[in-house]
Amino acid sequence: MTRDVFRSDPAGAKRLHVVQGEFAVTEDPDVMLGTILGSCVSACMRDPVAGVGGMNHFLLPGERENADGGPQGMRYGVQSMELLLNALYRKGARRERLEVKLFGGARVIDGLSDVGQQNAAFAERFLASEGITMTGGSLRGDQARRIQFWPVSGRVRQMALVDPNRQVQVFEAERARAKPAPAQVADDGDLELF
Amino acid sequence: MPAAAQIRVMVVDDQMTMRSLVRTGLQQLGFTDIVEAPDGEEALRQILARPVHLVISDFNMPRLDGMGLLRALRSHGPTSKTAFVMLTGRADKELVQKAVQLGVNNYLVKPFTVQTLKEKIEAVFGKLT
Repeated sequence: MTRDVFRSDPAGAKRLHVVQGEFAVTEDPDVMLGTILGSCVSACMRDPVAGVGGMNHFLLPGERENADGGPQGMRYGVQSMELLLNALYRKGARRERLEVKLFGGARVIDGLSDVGQQNAAFAERFLASEGITMTGGSLRGDQARRIQFWPVSGRVRQMALVDPNRQVQVFEAERARAKPAPAQVADDGDLELF
Repeated sequence: MPAAAQIRVMVVDDQMTMRSLVRTGLQQLGFTDIVEAPDGEEALRQILARPVHLVISDFNMPRLDGMGLLRALRSHGPTSKTAFVMLTGRADKELVQKAVQLGVNNYLVKPFTVQTLKEKIEAVFGKLT
């Protein structure tokens, strides 16, 4: 889904918040995509020649790894990356021109499984295996982040969320969203063709 | 009941990561004869050189997409009956209906589990051993 519903501030800038499991793509230089990341990862991608860019936001629940005999968590990341890439390609982007910055993957609370590390490692591995250039970003660490990305210019701003209570809120929100997804047959709807 | 190891499979996706995931899933199901291609054009070239029993193909790909590959296979006598499972990013009704008109055997919505992969293949070939 390419999101195109933006909030505008008085100065005319358009903002869109990208939540977990979503992505957004734009060719509008006035659009800023934002998100808040704990252990989740966002890839901020752009093709400077095509003048298009986008952001995704994915969560890889570590406790579900191999739950069904396969790396299910990794699939969420793959799915998220694929949806973003396909949306960019449809707007004229080309893989060899893409510039990608990765953010997130923090170890937000000590003592729990380091999902953030798994996310960060997956994202780096994905770009390397697909031959896509990683031009920067900020992965891992121990603080949640607020990310603001202007896809057309490539400008990115990162702000650490230093309030401990806010950090816990971010992490708990991610945990809540990590509940098992419904089986895909639910997506098939009335497409019972076989 | 066909043995998975006797079925030659072509996995087509422009993302190596996705091809690896599908290959891993197939291997868990007992498939051993698996080949890959990054787009429909390359898949078609390989299949014409050496036929496969099953094609598992992404839809969105450069050069020749999944629908183009399906159309090409169905229009060529020796490959017209090749089993074809389409991978889609989401349950796109129009896309699936178009693929059905072209003769797709089944489709798989990403992300999927190994169990779902198995069910989709068994719906085409019967229960695997």
